Amino acid sequence: MGPGNKLVELISGKRFRKGWTALNIAFFLLFVIIPTVYILSYAITDWSEIQEHVLSDPATMDLIIGSIIVAFEIATIVTIIDFVAGLPLAWMMARKDFRGKQFLDTLIDMPLAVPTAALGFSAAIFWAVTPNPPPFSLATISSPMILIILLHVVFSYPYMVRSLTAILGGIDETYETAGRTLGASRLTAVRTITLPLFRAGLVTGAILCFARSLSETGGTIIALATLYGRRMVEGDFHTGPSLIGFWKDASVSDPTLIPALSFVSILLIILALVLLLVLKIVIMRVRLPLRKVWPSPEKLLSRGLFPKIKDTSAIIFLIVIVLIPSFFIFTYVLTANPVQADWSPFIDALLTSFLVATIVTLIDLVMGIPMALYIVKNKTGRLSQMLDVLVNVPLIVPTAALGFSLGLFWSNFDPNASFPLLLIILAHVAFTYPLVVRNVVGAVEGIDPAFEETARTLGAKPIQSFRRVLFPMIKGSILAGAIMAFTRSLGETGATLAVVANANTAPVYIVELVNEQSYYLAAMACIILIIISYVFMLLLRRFTREEVV
Amino acid sequence: MPSVTLLGIVKRYSDVTAANGLNLTVNDGEYLCLLGPTGAGKTTVLRIIAGLTTPDQGRVLFDGRDVTSLDPEERSAVLLSQTYCLFPTMTVADNVLFGPEIREIPEADKEQMLVSLLDMVRLSERANSYPKELSGGMQQRCALARAIATSPDVLLLDEPLRALDARLRIDLRRELKSLARTLGLTVIHVTHDQDEALVMADRIAILRAGKILQVGTPAEVFNEPESPFVANFVGQSNFFTGKLVNSTPTGAEIEDDDGRRVRARATSLPIGSKVVLAVKVGQTHILKREVTPLKGRIERILFEGRVVHVDVDIEGVGRFSSKIPVRRRGRYNVGDEVGIGWNRNKAKIFPYPENGLEDELKVD
Repeated sequence: MGPGNKLVELISGKRFRKGWTALNIAFFLLFVIIPTVYILSYAITDWSEIQEHVLSDPATMDLIIGSIIVAFEIATIVTIIDFVAGLPLAWMMARKDFRGKQFLDTLIDMPLAVPTAALGFSAAIFWAVTPNPPPFSLATISSPMILIILLHVVFSYPYMVRSLTAILGGIDETYETAGRTLGASRLTAVRTITLPLFRAGLVTGAILCFARSLSETGGTIIALATLYGRRMVEGDFHTGPSLIGFWKDASVSDPTLIPALSFVSILLIILALVLLLVLKIVIMRVRLPLRKVWPSPEKLLSRGLFPKIKDTSAIIFLIVIVLIPSFFIFTYVLTANPVQADWSPFIDALLTSFLVATIVTLIDLVMGIPMALYIVKNKTGRLSQMLDVLVNVPLIVPTAALGFSLGLFWSNFDPNASFPLLLIILAHVAFTYPLVVRNVVGAVEGIDPAFEETARTLGAKPIQSFRRVLFPMIKGSILAGAIMAFTRSLGETGATLAVVANANTAPVYIVELVNEQSYYLAAMACIILIIISYVFMLLLRRFTREEVV
Repeated sequence: MPSVTLLGIVKRYSDVTAANGLNLTVNDGEYLCLLGPTGAGKTTVLRIIAGLTTPDQGRVLFDGRDVTSLDPEERSAVLLSQTYCLFPTMTVADNVLFGPEIREIPEADKEQMLVSLLDMVRLSERANSYPKELSGGMQQRCALARAIATSPDVLLLDEPLRALDARLRIDLRRELKSLARTLGLTVIHVTHDQDEALVMADRIAILRAGKILQVGTPAEVFNEPESPFVANFVGQSNFFTGKLVNSTPTGAEIEDDDGRRVRARATSLPIGSKVVLAVKVGQTHILKREVTPLKGRIERILFEGRVVHVDVDIEGVGRFSSKIPVRRRGRYNVGDEVGIGWNRNKAKIFPYPENGLEDELKVD
């Protein structure tokens, strides 16, 4: 028996497996959940501070409440737009075969390769009325709210399309066929039979989009700063997260802002949690009036020109609203006047970012996959159901609030930020871990447990049956989770700044450039970041695809 | 190869009891069919033997050794599931060699094993195909080769022929049985198809609502059912309910409320008790009206190929079915008034079931 065999023996022992599960859960609680909601403890320990500086100060309260309402309005509108515009595209991807489908498939994911900081800048110079609009830009939007909505649609749209496509692909088409042979027109069949079946996908998509919009900080701040053409100040338009980001910055010089900062973070976390529950209940429980059928108009809409118009407008939406704003930055750099600059600080920042993203993704995979397996395999257990819900929490907590909370938590252990890289990694793990877990849970849920069971009766130990049977089947989803985690870490600004104020990562560097109005340099930096992440994604994809076949 | 023993197995899911104090012994090298209606708990029994489900109570013994707490991979009991579960990411050859691979069998031996197994299941040409490129029958054979390559002691088959078309199913019955015989495997084969069980099994265990009702050779369970349920589930029976009015060592008589009196085999039940008589459809004959107290009208005639199925409605008693040879088909027409009767030795008497006959015969 070789050493490899001994290892397999060791980790297949029941005791080891129990210990490993316990370790995974402990990791999740200690490194993901507790740091994320640590800020809530502030409400208990320092309530008097909040009372004094926030609740009794009507101006601050107005600012907080106003910004939170705005954040929720934006998230709601964005989610609705994503759904309405995403459904036809998801439908095409799941059900139709056409030339260029592969290409379209890659296009949909492209915005994910762009760090939100770069995205915010790119979308803002495309849409917004700025003092010196670059050539070809639309330069039509002067309302900050509309600008932020447009921006949030760009980076939440891929999540919606992906979630809907995945669930649509999983729905057996024979139900719909049966409906049509029973005399329903295509639209009627889809609406009454298929749509109710994909509520689960809709919940996932809606939560992801809503949470993404509600929590995004870095891109939002950059877009607003670009629109205003300067650093943000107190009286500017603020969403909840941008207010946190702003106060977090300002609190370095003015510590009296800390209570207000904590209060708005706590409020956002609690509201987001409540909303998550409400959203889940509303979508799963409320019966939409879907039963009623209008045969003739629906028949009319199922034929001829209408489906073509629908498909065409879905693609136009993808190109104009999502893709062009994402990559407008390229045209900007091509048309602007080159500026000479010292690139070495950026390259340093870039290397740091990649190092962080790589380590974070590895930790997510090692700790997240076993967690996902545990959740799916003990689906009926109370503990696993609770974990399943808890895993979503870091996704819906605004990253600025999250970062602030993480910062407070970790500074207990390292008050002087003497290990800045470690702090950044730990912070990034908290909000990327759920992406891996969610993706793997989704994939494993779709696989008949009989495969692994059969492998076990054929003599495979749990680790062997995972590696040889389950892993090859869920590789795609693991990869998807890894890409999301990697790009999310690579692009994150708000949380990074909240943990280590002078962090040296690429997105933070770009925010600095925008704030200093070095647009050309910011754009160049963004492009480098985009290209590198995109190449990285392609390589990762190719690498894993080859192994599958 | 081991014997498999289940002792007092209980398994409850939130609202169903899948095994309710179940005892069963499968002998070394035996081919046992576990026959029961859907939802009887057949699959649960297999999963408990395989180690995939832990029973709430009771023990599983292999050759007298308690294996209840062993992991599936430590039992050498291979489960072949309804859907075959061929690993979609592996070729036929990789699927077959999955078990040997895990046990690190030397390359040369594996090669040889693969060749002979693929030859046996006639898939040599398809070694490099992926499961989705195979037909249902090929997939089934591939799964079988994969199971055997692991050289299991116990083979657990969960409705292995269910997804195949009728003709193929019949061919594979024979193959499967002779293969098991050659390799001396202990086989537990779950099925809801009584014909399959009768043809294939050394012994049949009838399972219902988590309990074994009867275990015996196919002839025993067919000819000597121990309950009306078994009488009906294995080869459909006709039933006649009445009071036992006469009982001698050579035979018994039953009379219903309308005074119809029919004869059956001897019974030890007390005279005067309420009983039910069961006689197999195939042993029920259509007679002239004059010779029998059971008179009725032909309701339906179904051509079944080699035999013709005739339903006769007897007013106040119910429907009786009979199978007649095809050559006699022309003699009867729907609406004819006929009589029903049987050889008294083919009719068996049971005490009337506690919850009524209908409940006793219910299959789900």
